[in-house]
Amino acid sequence: MTEPLLSVHELDVRFGGLAALSGVGFHMRAGEILGIVGPNGAGKTTLFNALVGVQRPTAGSILFQGRGISGLKPHVIARLGMTKTFQNSALFPEMSVLENVCTAALLHHRLAAAKKKAYGILERLELFDIAGEDVANLTFPQKALTELARAMATDPKILLLDEVMAALSHEEMDGVIAVIRRLREDDGIGFIVIEHHMRAILSLCDRLLVLSFGQVIAEGDPGEVVRHPDVIKAYLGDSAGAGHA
Amino acid sequence: MKTLLRRHGLALLCAALAICLPLCMEDSDYAMRIATMALIFAAASQCWNLSGGLANQISLGHAAFFGIGAYTSTLLYIHLEVSPWLGLVAGGMLAAVAAAMLSVILSRLKGHYYALATLAFAEVLRVVANSWSSVTGGPIGLTIPFKGDAPLAFQFSSPAGYYWISLGLLALCSLVFHRLASGASGYRLRAIRENEVAAEVSGIDTFRLKLRLNVLSGALMAMCGTVYAQFIYFFDPDSIFSLSGISVKVAMMSIIGGLGTLPGPILGAFFLVPLEELSTSFFSDTAGLAQCVFGIVLIAAILIQPRGLMAVWGLRHRFMKGART
Repeated sequence: MTEPLLSVHELDVRFGGLAALSGVGFHMRAGEILGIVGPNGAGKTTLFNALVGVQRPTAGSILFQGRGISGLKPHVIARLGMTKTFQNSALFPEMSVLENVCTAALLHHRLAAAKKKAYGILERLELFDIAGEDVANLTFPQKALTELARAMATDPKILLLDEVMAALSHEEMDGVIAVIRRLREDDGIGFIVIEHHMRAILSLCDRLLVLSFGQVIAEGDPGEVVRHPDVIKAYLGDSAGAGHA
Repeated sequence: MKTLLRRHGLALLCAALAICLPLCMEDSDYAMRIATMALIFAAASQCWNLSGGLANQISLGHAAFFGIGAYTSTLLYIHLEVSPWLGLVAGGMLAAVAAAMLSVILSRLKGHYYALATLAFAEVLRVVANSWSSVTGGPIGLTIPFKGDAPLAFQFSSPAGYYWISLGLLALCSLVFHRLASGASGYRLRAIRENEVAAEVSGIDTFRLKLRLNVLSGALMAMCGTVYAQFIYFFDPDSIFSLSGISVKVAMMSIIGGLGTLPGPILGAFFLVPLEELSTSFFSDTAGLAQCVFGIVLIAAILIQPRGLMAVWGLRHRFMKGART
């Protein structure tokens, strides 16, 4: 069996007396698509922030390609091959689509090569026609894809997508799902996806991890996990969980 | 040629004006002194613009580096007879070390907290300079011994000498700004300015880039301090480490001219320095009136054009483009 690309062990993140994450652990293989779901405040975004170095964990370890990355700076982790998109669009607002992507491509390339790479990514994600557009003028799906393109420009091995499909229609969501699948197949990129749309999660993910109050309450095949009594209880309350069981 | 004019039209116009100005004002020492002061402040404001305009590091303590430069070169000259030209370099190096240390210590602070911490740094230096009388001369200040026309001692009989040196300093500061604001570092700095966390996650070492900017900004600011001290011959802690007289003034010049743009600080300095002089000379009879008028004009300028005088240049371009189509 191959070594996991990412291993998280007993991860804790505390904000003073509040435990945002407590004893979280999971593994991920290269090219896998792992979904993370959970009610609001479950610690999903905090987990992402801890993985990419934005939030320093209080305890536990994160191994990426066999190397401990817990406590490293985000730009170092991005260089190693893991980055994320943001829950609320965090594009550079006074830059064009091309400039946003080019900025990230500078991580591994000089300016001329970075521009070329950025154009290539925009073409693959069908954003070439709006390369010169200011990001302030983009539609929701275009913003989501531009965030994805910018993250792609860092040559990630694992890409963390934080509600990239929020506010999209079903058709737009299908488009983004197709893009993610294509990137996995063509480039072998693994994805960890936080999403509230169960339809998207079930059709996209190989495996599902459910967080509630900062702890993992279920993990496994998406179809089975969503029927787990603890998961139903976390989403719908005690009576629903008991009734289902 | 057309592209060159379109892209660098304003810079070329400023350069041509700067070179022609001394020819037009040959007979007026007063006008030359105002122009020289505007150049020194334009250079200092460009230094502030490096960190404040490019990386959103809004400092209210740049007077600290200005004062370090002035005190270093002057003390070396008075006590060891070291030429202020060497003092200029020494002051720059000392300020670079101070800026690096400050940048590391304040690396976790942002926005108002960063501004207040830098303000405190300059205030500490002001208090130290006032108290350490045996070295700094205390509140009495320092007077540079007059040597007449002695270029090696950084002294000139006519204001033109100071004018050309100040112009050279402004050119140096503007060149550093241009190098950093363009190319790959320009992309990275714009990213930091617009969203620092997103920039870091996109692989940009924000700490290192800001450290580099702050060191360059501090070192060049100290050089401006040396030139300023040599030009006015006398300074004291309250004037050289002044919050309103230096720190806020250089920030205002960048903001009024156009934050984060190369011509912004130059336009701002050449608007504010003569304005301050004019209001002082016209309203000197009533105490405080000159400052009131100066303040009202500043507020009006910001209200009318919040994006700075550079935006007026942009509007002119759009107007001309519209007229051609």
